Amino acid sequence: MEPRLITLNINGRSHQVALKSNVTLLRALRDLGYTDVKNGCEKGDCGACAVLLNGRAVNSCLVLAWQADGAEIVTAAGLGTVDHPHPIQEALADSGGVQCGFCIPGIVIAAKALLDRNPHPTEEEIREAISGNLCRCTGYALIVEGIRRVAESRES
Amino acid sequence: MRDQFHIVGKITPRKDAVARVTGRELYSVDIILPRMLYGRIVASPYAHAHIRGIDAREAEALGAIVITWDDVPHVRFNQRIVTVPAALHKDTTVLADKVRRLWEPVAAVAAETEAMAEKAARAVRVEYEPLPVLTDPIEAMQPGAVPIHETVLFGDKELKVENNIACMRQIEEGDVDRAFAEADVVVEGTFRTHKIYHMQLEPKTAVCRPEPDGGLTVWATTQSIHNVRILLGQIFGIPLSKINVIRIPVGGAFGSSIQMNTPIPICAALALKAGRPVKLTLTREEDFYEHTKYPVQVHLKLAARRDGTLLGAEMELITDIGAHIIQPYSFLGVCIGWLVSLYRLPNVRYKGIAVYTNKTPSCAMRGFGNPQITFAAESLMDELAVRLGMDPVELRRKNYVGLGDTFWGQGPLVRSVVQSDGVPELLEEGKRLIGWDRRQPPEAKTGRYRRGIGMARGFHTSSAGAPQPGDVIDYSGAMVKVNQDGSVDVITAVIDHGGGTLEAIAKLVAEALCVPLEKVNIAAAGTTTTVYDVVTHATRGVYAGGGAAVKAAQKVRQELLETAARYLNVMPDALTLTLDESLGQGVVYAPSILERRMTIAEIATRCWTESWKTIAAVESYRPTSCPPAYMTAFVEVEVDTWTGIVRTVRVVLGSDCGTVINPDLAAGQLEGGLHIGAGFALYEDNQWDREGRALSRGYMVDAKIPGVLESPTIENLITHFAHTYEPTGPLGAKGIGEAASNPIAAACANAIYNAIGVRFYELPITPERVGESLNQTNHKKKS
Repeated sequence: MEPRLITLNINGRSHQVALKSNVTLLRALRDLGYTDVKNGCEKGDCGACAVLLNGRAVNSCLVLAWQADGAEIVTAAGLGTVDHPHPIQEALADSGGVQCGFCIPGIVIAAKALLDRNPHPTEEEIREAISGNLCRCTGYALIVEGIRRVAESRES
Repeated sequence: MRDQFHIVGKITPRKDAVARVTGRELYSVDIILPRMLYGRIVASPYAHAHIRGIDAREAEALGAIVITWDDVPHVRFNQRIVTVPAALHKDTTVLADKVRRLWEPVAAVAAETEAMAEKAARAVRVEYEPLPVLTDPIEAMQPGAVPIHETVLFGDKELKVENNIACMRQIEEGDVDRAFAEADVVVEGTFRTHKIYHMQLEPKTAVCRPEPDGGLTVWATTQSIHNVRILLGQIFGIPLSKINVIRIPVGGAFGSSIQMNTPIPICAALALKAGRPVKLTLTREEDFYEHTKYPVQVHLKLAARRDGTLLGAEMELITDIGAHIIQPYSFLGVCIGWLVSLYRLPNVRYKGIAVYTNKTPSCAMRGFGNPQITFAAESLMDELAVRLGMDPVELRRKNYVGLGDTFWGQGPLVRSVVQSDGVPELLEEGKRLIGWDRRQPPEAKTGRYRRGIGMARGFHTSSAGAPQPGDVIDYSGAMVKVNQDGSVDVITAVIDHGGGTLEAIAKLVAEALCVPLEKVNIAAAGTTTTVYDVVTHATRGVYAGGGAAVKAAQKVRQELLETAARYLNVMPDALTLTLDESLGQGVVYAPSILERRMTIAEIATRCWTESWKTIAAVESYRPTSCPPAYMTAFVEVEVDTWTGIVRTVRVVLGSDCGTVINPDLAAGQLEGGLHIGAGFALYEDNQWDREGRALSRGYMVDAKIPGVLESPTIENLITHFAHTYEPTGPLGAKGIGEAASNPIAAACANAIYNAIGVRFYELPITPERVGESLNQTNHKKKS
């Protein structure tokens, strides 16, 4: 199979890349230097590689780069920066729910997708939304709490 | 004491959290270097086989660099060098001369892209001669079983391996026969725990860059940069001064990187042959086969008087160490150490056997045998309480090893005396928070959903320090320097696995030097610019690594006083250092002559502009004790007697970690400890087939670590801390990390017993096992 030129719109920037059909979106993103998209398993188990694809949270290891041709892709680094973190990022950083941090960019994305479609989720809905993200350090409670706080602060 | 701290014990935003949530943090796996090649391992599809030939021509024709047995040094080593060299077993080489486990690396390739490396790895032809596979330790130790290793190096001596037994330990103290003869009650049981996987989120990675001087720069997933450097130096014959292993954040560890991981020396060999940087990352499936927890079969017997006083114990333990020896000799020693340091057992007889099999090598995993032994001991203590009609909490209070007692958790050569003890406080507070008084016996429960409350104690040693050197290497080091503007650099080789160890060290230095936390920087570090720190394990990061930093900070503090004394024309002893909150700086002043004062910044600036000196100190620190970090876990579960599903309803976790440095991060350790402990107790199985293959097949979901839906909500997860001060610790602190998970499995098992009246001797307590046991119980009732 010959490489094909595709357009990946990542965090508001357009990249033209020639890729073969079997390259996953995860590999394409990391090769372009988007190392905030973490590769935890490459099997769709852990959720560390989650990105927003046209607003939906997907595991980028389960999407082929060709399928994302022309789509809008947002990674955790695209939501906020160290100087201007997104409110979800700020809340998670303050929650005490960040330990090794390897799972966190994926959780940020899952939380963003949830709050975009449901600004006032219940705790059950928050848990459901991040149930595809594995974390081995924290036990999740403070992560859920961080997301709940963002939702609450939006209500006020 | 704690009230006098300006920063220790206060909740402050974690310095690295924002970098992590915004994806700015780089781990080894994220390193990209100019001209970097990508490595892949050629791994064996057999668990036990001779290698009859390797043909790499096709792979080389694709442009790949290939290494085989002929390209690597044949030095036998142990991946973990925490044991002194004279007592170290060595059976591992960079690439295998013979395959002893599934996925054992027999060759490796490096190519321009990951895809090309994958293609080249597949193109390497290896001819194997399969051998019988041993997956059961009992079968493996039978006479006549096929040998996995013919010999092993012990120090410099070559030892023959008999019956696949890697090592054995027998320890006896007191008069055990008399203890059992005098006992009113004896309880015993055979407990089994499984070979589960660490499942740290970051797949293990190494990046090696060969340097023009013949040296190497290394970024790697590790818990000890210095031990990686020493091993690479020994294997490749490179002077240590030419190897710089850089400290880089680790995406979780849990013990999986105490040893130098398999990919590190392979990556180094590829880089040296290619003359270019190489990155080698394990796939998740390869990572599954890299290391696991030690599975044990342990027979434990306790003797007690009618009043609940323990008289003695007998324990026999068999552990399956897998295909390579990492540290079973220490493991066998600490396993009896955990038991006799949990409860006063003056008479004890122990035999431990470590057996090779053709499975993944076993290593420490958050507890190093402690969760396994505590599961057995605390289950039996619960049984003993039932037999004696005693409150389980009272039975524990009566027998625990506490203030003034000698303990040897880290094995028979590491003995010290308990100097701080929060156990009574933890027990009382735990009882109150869980509502212990409403606990009913199992007979009182009826209906489909049955709730039960159980508890267990646990502890872990803070470091493996002792008054004398033993067979475990344990010391740390740190450098502290005051910069020209009064800010402070802390240069340490301590690795932070994610729990916040470095955050705690920054806080300890800020406290000791009376500097605001934001002025303390944990400097970027590598082996060439730091002094030795053995490894972040044994719950020693804060206690020993922090101890070294405080020792250096205290020396800097003294030098600040002496330097200011000359500028202020005051005797050094008349000066004192304090934090001036209004200035946001540390100030040296003479209480009796208040106008004689200088800020730390002023002292540092004058030392610089007057061409005098940098105020700095470098210190090594050997802990002379390894104080027990105590833990209590009270758990309420709900058992669905129709499906066998166990739900943790409410959990109360109490920790005695001495001075609490970062309250929210300390609570995070308890919550994470619950996660790992609950996975061990209820979910993670990781079964192996007869071919030495893990049935999870590399799928994280199939190995079943707890997800968010299995984890308690914040309202039902209560943490509390004892009010203690450890005299040997940095500003009164002890450790916490491993202690947090040690009692969880036993507490869950005891709560399940309280719910349904069934005691489980094997982990994990899955719905299938619960269902099966309930069927048997119903059957008995009917017949």
